[in-house]
Amino acid sequence: MEIAELMASPLNLAVIVKLEPDFSEGSVSYNSDGTLNRAETKSILGPHSAIASAAAFYAKVKYGAVISVATMGPPIADSALQQAQLISDADSLHLYSDRIFSGADTLATAEVLKTGIKKMEGTGEMDIVFSGHRASDGETGQTGPQTAWKLGYTFLGNVICYDVDIEKRIVTAKRLITLQGTPDVIEEIEAPLPVFITVDPSYRSVFNTVSLRLASVKYQKEAEQRAQNYKNYLKIFNAQQLEVDPKFVGLPGSPTIVYKVERIPKARASRRAEVIDGSDQQQLRRVAEKIHEIVGRVVNQ
Amino acid sequence: MAASTTLPDPRTIMPVRENSTNSANESEGSYRHLYVVVEHDDSNLIPVTLEMLGEARRLMDIFNARYSSTEKVVAVVLGVNIKKLCEELVYYGADAVICVENPNLRYPINLIDTKVISQVARDKVCASKVSPEYSEEFKKPRYMFFSADNVGRHLSSTVLAELESGLASDINKLVIEDLEIKHEHKTKGQLARYEKTLEMYRPDFSGFLWTTILCLDNRNPAIQREYHPQACSIIPGVFAPLQRDPARTGIIVDFSPELDQADKAVKVLNRQITKSPVDFDSHKAVISFGRGIKDSPEDNIKLIVELANELNAEIGVSLPISKRPYSVREPVSSLYMNSDRVIGTSGRKVAPAVYVAIGVSGAMQHIAGMKESGFVIAINADANSPIKDECDIFIRGRMEDVLPVLIEELKKQKQVMEVHK
Repeated sequence: MEIAELMASPLNLAVIVKLEPDFSEGSVSYNSDGTLNRAETKSILGPHSAIASAAAFYAKVKYGAVISVATMGPPIADSALQQAQLISDADSLHLYSDRIFSGADTLATAEVLKTGIKKMEGTGEMDIVFSGHRASDGETGQTGPQTAWKLGYTFLGNVICYDVDIEKRIVTAKRLITLQGTPDVIEEIEAPLPVFITVDPSYRSVFNTVSLRLASVKYQKEAEQRAQNYKNYLKIFNAQQLEVDPKFVGLPGSPTIVYKVERIPKARASRRAEVIDGSDQQQLRRVAEKIHEIVGRVVNQ
Repeated sequence: MAASTTLPDPRTIMPVRENSTNSANESEGSYRHLYVVVEHDDSNLIPVTLEMLGEARRLMDIFNARYSSTEKVVAVVLGVNIKKLCEELVYYGADAVICVENPNLRYPINLIDTKVISQVARDKVCASKVSPEYSEEFKKPRYMFFSADNVGRHLSSTVLAELESGLASDINKLVIEDLEIKHEHKTKGQLARYEKTLEMYRPDFSGFLWTTILCLDNRNPAIQREYHPQACSIIPGVFAPLQRDPARTGIIVDFSPELDQADKAVKVLNRQITKSPVDFDSHKAVISFGRGIKDSPEDNIKLIVELANELNAEIGVSLPISKRPYSVREPVSSLYMNSDRVIGTSGRKVAPAVYVAIGVSGAMQHIAGMKESGFVIAINADANSPIKDECDIFIRGRMEDVLPVLIEELKKQKQVMEVHK
């Protein structure tokens, strides 16, 4: 790459996002047995994908980064790209859509995303790729790290904030580590670019100077305009255009299968509840006494 | 797009369960043992490690009896000053421990840990020290366990990407079976026998459905591939550890990884213990709420906060609430409807003296996070709600009606108590 080009775009970023069921009231629909009614539930950009998009926007404001957003999904998944563009002010949107991709497990999904990101690199090395913490429907959290590994990028998970030293090509980041039965740890790390970052749900961008805040407003306005005409930024790739090997994507490329889905049997009752009528003040008085008795007793110990 | 969100087509999958042991497998011999990736915090074992070892021991005891074999439970531990950990791992059920002592492995860093664990998984010499009788054709482990926390979840993903095999996440039940499978892609529609297959059960986000994931070789000649190890990440707090038994013996194998400069690219600059603003451990009472707040979310949260203030309780939520299903004004929304407050397998485990579940249906994942509480009170309008079997007092009624009365009673009694003092 020429020096002039480097100056023009100091950072190349990609964000991988997902179209997911919208769990907000009015959009989500549950079956009578408490399971999700997928047919009736609307879809949106996943909340963790939205945070990943916001993390990329931070680098646009701070470093003038060039951003590409990518997703694998059916044609309607372009709406997730549009929503991600509105958040990130993305310069290009990439949809990987082909019937043969459907039914993919995380490894076969990562194969498509890796191939797509490699294709983006035709215009220059990628510096940082972002993904969300996990999807709110699948909830595996595997696709991001598996894409990172296939790309050969250093994987940094649970990132709550980051900065880039453009000259040294180094990223510094803080990550939140929570393990069973131990106090939470915030770890500060540094790694050379390129890196793949999954953002923690607690990630927040902080624009702490006037010039950053002004730049943020400017790019937000640009993002609104771009998102209105998002199709101008959209490139759609099928399997052939992406040049993926059909053996490694979709169902044929998935090591795992879903063997069966069943209702979780009701566990044996672990306690025997005394049932109280909520409209009976006398009874509720007794409950209040019981609570005071326990909490009070513990206090006195 | 994950496998777990795709429902199986009943026409393509026809399970037949049997318990016979013969009929040889093409890949038999190449894949042996169950490797458990150990998690510890500077030499203190994380409980899930012992839970994984316990379940691994139970599964492999049944396995070896059924298949007349001697495959091992192998713990893999990385770190600094970990020698004494290795013995502990044997006391808790490991037949063998692969010990990777190296100054670069002090803290969990995905890049280097993935390299090392993948090397261990492919190492024939290690495998022959673990078990000489199976060293000949060893390629990779048969099964592999990781913990489903925010280190193990990522580590399992990258290791299995490197080993090019299948991974199921957040598992809470495991069974090993011989299965007859007919699958459009895996078997080209033919019936095929898959021996010693790990059935990995995964509760979905609702807590009501169990999805069973299998990792299967492609037997279809057009896409033929072997997928081993069959791997999963395991939810902390689900399986029971074995009793510690210092009489148990096992083999400890030292492993020196091959590392280059690039593997050491990530540097830890600083580590600091942080306190979440949400603190379940130092409160005697915890109050949680769920989707039952839906009729008037904002007013109900106000009532819940009032009750919490009255009892000096911390406030928790069920998983669906952290997805912010209702529009509630700020700062109430960010303060209470967030993932930091989730109680259950996707969040924290709590055990207060008093636990009050308000409008919580009682999905399995939530119960796992609160079942060790002292006294449990549930308030729910639905008398058939599963939480009824997990509480000591079940108050049947709408929270809008119950809470104001309960708060009033608590206040009155407190005044009486103060007068008595």
